[in-house]
Amino acid sequence: MSALGYLITRSLANSITHRLKRLRQPKYLLGAVLAGAYFYFYFYKFLFIGLGPAQPFNMPPQQQEVWINLAAAALLVLTVLLGWILPSSRAALTFTEAEIAFLFPAPIRRTTLIVFKILRSQLGFLFISVLFTLISGRWRMGSDVWMRTAGWWVILNTLSLHRIGASFALSRLYERGLSDWKRRVVFVVVLAGLGYAVWNAWNSLPGQPVAVGGKPADSLLTIGQFLQTGAIPWMLAPFKMVVAPSFAREGMGFLTALGPALGILAVHFLWVVRADGSFEDAAIETARRRSVLIAAARKGEVRLTSRKGKARTAVFRLRATGFKATAFFWKSLIRIGGRQTIVRWAMFFLALGGGVFWLIQHRGQESSTTFTTLAISIGAACYIAFLLSFVMVGQQAAGQLRQGMAGMDLLKTYPLPGWQFALGELLGPIVLGTLIQWMALATGTALVVGLIVPKSHAIGEVVPLIVTGLALFLPLFNLGTSILPSAAALALPGWFKPSEAGAGSSGGGGMEVMGLRLLMGILQILIIAVACLPVAFFGAAAWFGAGMFPLDPTWRIVATAGTAAFVLAMEAACGIAWLGWLFDRFDLSGE
Amino acid sequence: MIAVDGLTKLYGDFAAVTDLSFTVHPGEVLGLVGPNGAGKTTTLRCLAGIIPATRGKVMIDGIDIAEDPLAAKQVVSFFSDEPRLFDYLTVRQHLEFTARLYQVADAKERGQTLLEELDMGDKTELLATELSRGMKQKVALACGFLHQPRVMFFDEPLTGLDPLAIRRTKELIVRQAKDSGVAIIISSHLLHLLEEVCTHFLIVKRGSKVAHGTLAEIRGAHEGADLEEIFVRLAGEDAGK
Repeated sequence: MSALGYLITRSLANSITHRLKRLRQPKYLLGAVLAGAYFYFYFYKFLFIGLGPAQPFNMPPQQQEVWINLAAAALLVLTVLLGWILPSSRAALTFTEAEIAFLFPAPIRRTTLIVFKILRSQLGFLFISVLFTLISGRWRMGSDVWMRTAGWWVILNTLSLHRIGASFALSRLYERGLSDWKRRVVFVVVLAGLGYAVWNAWNSLPGQPVAVGGKPADSLLTIGQFLQTGAIPWMLAPFKMVVAPSFAREGMGFLTALGPALGILAVHFLWVVRADGSFEDAAIETARRRSVLIAAARKGEVRLTSRKGKARTAVFRLRATGFKATAFFWKSLIRIGGRQTIVRWAMFFLALGGGVFWLIQHRGQESSTTFTTLAISIGAACYIAFLLSFVMVGQQAAGQLRQGMAGMDLLKTYPLPGWQFALGELLGPIVLGTLIQWMALATGTALVVGLIVPKSHAIGEVVPLIVTGLALFLPLFNLGTSILPSAAALALPGWFKPSEAGAGSSGGGGMEVMGLRLLMGILQILIIAVACLPVAFFGAAAWFGAGMFPLDPTWRIVATAGTAAFVLAMEAACGIAWLGWLFDRFDLSGE
Repeated sequence: MIAVDGLTKLYGDFAAVTDLSFTVHPGEVLGLVGPNGAGKTTTLRCLAGIIPATRGKVMIDGIDIAEDPLAAKQVVSFFSDEPRLFDYLTVRQHLEFTARLYQVADAKERGQTLLEELDMGDKTELLATELSRGMKQKVALACGFLHQPRVMFFDEPLTGLDPLAIRRTKELIVRQAKDSGVAIIISSHLLHLLEEVCTHFLIVKRGSKVAHGTLAEIRGAHEGADLEEIFVRLAGEDAGK
């Protein structure tokens, strides 16, 4: 154990030293300052000062009992869900590849390894406990903060130990032939049965309808009354013991509640240690999958799964000769999913379009409330998706270019100018993103014009024109918004390198990296805003200029959209040329 | 032909390569040898136009790579020690992509022939992530040979290959030099491989040339010692003391 203790303490000390040392680099120092300012102005000033003086924890005892019961019920559901339904039949203990290489072949007992992992996770639990205390606003209660943090720590540890114990039990069940899906079905059926029983009990309560419709306090009392009926108190009893320290009013009450909670924790600890489950195979497989994700992250890719993908069909056939940038465009379309992705989106919007068509055809025939709610929901969803995508398409394209830069030494051997590489890499996500935006816009507008705006209203004629102008403007806007973040990645590649922490390694992360991300986010928004200024200026000039002539509003909109699109196109062309220049001058020896 | 004159590469104050000059004629295979950190990879990357040289001139097939990098790169293939493929492209798609970049009109037939030669003919629809390291190396080789380059740079080309693939690759390299007149530079620590394949040797230490010539010339200057012995004498820790 002394060697493992050495590993934990030295790793921690080295990690802190490493983070402190890298503050000598201006970018990390700036990041740390920004993150510090963020924590100070948001958490400290907002949560502790901005919300007024600390308030004593003086909830009426009856109400407090209800809250304890509710927290216990939530913990029960979480325990069953995280421990018994969601996980696959693999041990919940995770080891890094280095830990596997050094510790698994070493003469160390399995129990010692389990204790090592539990001890190693304590710092993380402590951090999360502090964060939860902070977010739940309990720090405003002054000296009680330590009780709340300790309360969270007990809950998190108990939940974690239960997950590990459950994973050992599930592994044994799996070895005996109970597959993951059969087990999930069993647990879901049991949970659904319990839910049904609870629902029946709830409905049989006298006065329940009044309470639900009445004041919140009345509802709470009814819930409290309900949670004390039948077998529910017995079911919740152990979970109440675990959450009780979090609700203690003063020191003595906390210590009294802490005893049983630690008892439950100790029982869990014994369960895990004595279970002596086999976790090595699962740990090796988990570490392998994690290393795949880490390697991908270091290459600049974001992957949600380590599973191998399927080959994707190219969107179009690439001829062996022609404009070279097309090769990168072709490749970037494959990267974002190829033909399958485009077909999937087309099917989705076809189905949506069919629904919208049906709505328009049947307006006035259906129940008006349901009809309007449905139409507004779909229309709002389309417009919200469109608004969200406004900046995201450019960001996505820039992200793809950054990922492409991971193989820069290979790219540098290709006989094509940098601007062609940049254009090709950016175009794939921009084309797909723009198609999705167009479809979202068309669907939303069809609903607005076809259903919501009265037929005779003049706005019904103007909206499609504005939307068409916007649609024409979109591809160039998307290209424009992708250029500056891409340029930043080419000009300052060190700032965009995925950190080891980001990749899930023990190497770093921390406040300084968080601060860097904040800075990048702010800068990108600022840059996009600046890039839009000339477009807005010339667009407005065209609008007012066209107003001086006796033009139809349609032509005025066309003139405005055309001017804005032209300015954007100029910006985009200059941007691509600039990206190419940066690419050609990109010095790998500096990396 | 590769003509290098006074190549120097500095990283800040540190000189990775110092005043390196040599020539590789068509059909010649030059073995670039040196201990770890001698500047072999940096030299190859400068020659392939991946990184700029600090000083000196590199001519590829008569083209100054600093003056006209695109024309020079059109006739070059660079094979790094770690095969770099695109995870989301299949073997066939890699060849199609490379063909467009180098404008290889007959890429389909050439690509298939190359894959057959490398025992990869039945793996054209596999993704890069589904390939072993050796198979990835073979795909990288096929892509590199596709446009019939006049100059080739290999950085540890045989790492991760099985014995059969090693033999095939050696044969391919020798054939490219002998039959097609390609000028080739190979950087490797496998001295026996270099002895089999190379016509000339360049031994570097701390970025500087310590020996250059045919094996016979170098051996003649060192009392007939074998390449390994010469390497130890020239590039070992005690060399020059």
